[in-house]
Amino acid sequence: MAEYWYIRQEYEERTHQHFDDLPEPVITLDFTLGERDFVNAGNASSQIKMALKRLGVDSAILRRIAIASYEAEINETAHAKGGDITGNIYPEYVLIKFYDKGPGIEDIEQSMIPGFSTADDQVREMGFGAGLGLPNIKKNVDVLHIDSVAGGRTLVEIIVFFS
Amino acid sequence: MENDKKYFHALQVKTQKCVACMKCVRVCPTKALRIREGKVQLDDTRCIDCGRCITACKYGALIPWSDTMEITKNKKYKVAILSTAFAGQFSDKVGYPTAKKAIYHLGFDEVLEESMITEQYSWMIRKYLKEYPQTRPVLSSNCPAVVRLIQVRFPSLLPNLLHLESPMSVLAVYYRQKLVNEKNIPDDDIGIYQIVPCISQVTAVHQPEGNIADIENGAISIQEVFGHALEVLPEAASDEREIDVYTKGLSLSVSRMEASENDDGNIRTLAVSGISNVIEILLKIENQQIDPYDFIVFHSCIGGCVGGVLNIENPFIAASRIRHIISKGKDTKFEDKRISEMFDNGDFDVTPLAGRSIMKLSSDIKTALEKMKRIHQINATLPGLDCSACGSPTCLTLAEDIVEGKATLEDCIVLLRKKVKHRKNNY
Repeated sequence: MAEYWYIRQEYEERTHQHFDDLPEPVITLDFTLGERDFVNAGNASSQIKMALKRLGVDSAILRRIAIASYEAEINETAHAKGGDITGNIYPEYVLIKFYDKGPGIEDIEQSMIPGFSTADDQVREMGFGAGLGLPNIKKNVDVLHIDSVAGGRTLVEIIVFFS
Repeated sequence: MENDKKYFHALQVKTQKCVACMKCVRVCPTKALRIREGKVQLDDTRCIDCGRCITACKYGALIPWSDTMEITKNKKYKVAILSTAFAGQFSDKVGYPTAKKAIYHLGFDEVLEESMITEQYSWMIRKYLKEYPQTRPVLSSNCPAVVRLIQVRFPSLLPNLLHLESPMSVLAVYYRQKLVNEKNIPDDDIGIYQIVPCISQVTAVHQPEGNIADIENGAISIQEVFGHALEVLPEAASDEREIDVYTKGLSLSVSRMEASENDDGNIRTLAVSGISNVIEILLKIENQQIDPYDFIVFHSCIGGCVGGVLNIENPFIAASRIRHIISKGKDTKFEDKRISEMFDNGDFDVTPLAGRSIMKLSSDIKTALEKMKRIHQINATLPGLDCSACGSPTCLTLAEDIVEGKATLEDCIVLLRKKVKHRKNNY
């Protein structure tokens, strides 16, 4: 089992508080995504973004959320066998969980290096698999947590604070 | 505005004619329409004048408004500016030059064509793209419905709009100045009238967004002009004077052709038409999930301006005719250095537009969250059929309307039926 944590420095305290208290989200949006379902991939992130837009979240922050969640959603359908996506909205931040059906990430540190990719030809032909997914997610979020079992499932959690 | 509404719309609502068929409610891309108490209601803030409801309404409850020929009586020197879509309304038998002559016979002193400016307008766009290399993609601003859509649903993309008057307005600004300076016609005597294919352009003339005020004196629909033009066609056909026609620039009326006008090999363009396609692409741009385009041409109507509701002819036929005129018709080259100078001088610049977001549930995020929570709770109890029999376009919108106090759960006919059945079974 491998775990990876990235927390933007200024949000360390608030992030720890979240994982200590595990508060109830005000709104939960649930989605499921199949393997290689490139038609529906992106639906969850756009629905979550739409909800946040309606809440009046700043457009620059919205853009970061949209980019990161779209990348993670594509990962789930392109590199994994699909899975569940849950958008948990709290008054001050959004936490989005991507829980895929495997096959797990062998070496998370390596997959964080821009350009590293394990994608097959079919995925590359679709214009994905450039090895920029996880680094791009990291660049756009305040918290990135990856929990993966090689040969098993991967949980990717991202948090973006509204201010 | 004269009717003290905050937003003027060239969409007329004839409440008494509404039969509550719900067709308009379903097609509105900004969810601006509701049926309440059996009659249609329009939310002025949300409406972008795309005209889709006008096409949907078969009962005359939602009809277009535009100026009539009457309005030209107010001015001594009358100038018509023909939208490029106008050329597609007449059969080959009539011919574009005769159709244009007919407009003179309606009493206009001068007849200009939007197509005159196409080439110089493309030059302006290319120059603009060079001046603002950090703004990508630049979004065309000549479809007023799309501009309003961006204001209400995609305010974060407002900086990407081409901050330039539309081709017809550029022509109007330039020509008015020319008449005053070169022909010594008093500004007050000049009447410039756009002959337009859609209601969003009527609205743009009567309530310009960030535009230079009072460029045009009216917007007359192609339909209105067409009827009058038919009467004078025989005269026009036997009128033997030579007139110039600017056929090449008619490409502006067809979405795809308009985009390629600006494509000089270094500029990557995309043409998008039809309001649902426009929304889809704007979402992609907002999420930065789009190929690196430099310039994107948007048209709310399918096919471009030929698809506007104020046209006569089917958009595909009109587009085909226009392509025919462009390839076979005689073209006149139009260029005036004065236009380039005016552009460089900033005379056609548009002030940045303000957003008027309809998206936010509240200005305070906590209140908005609470509202959204209640919306989701109510939505979960609704049947999810999106039948719009309640008068709201979808179940989710009904839930929103209930939370906003504009509807009640009893408006849901499906739930009501279930209740009645339940009661029957219990007696």
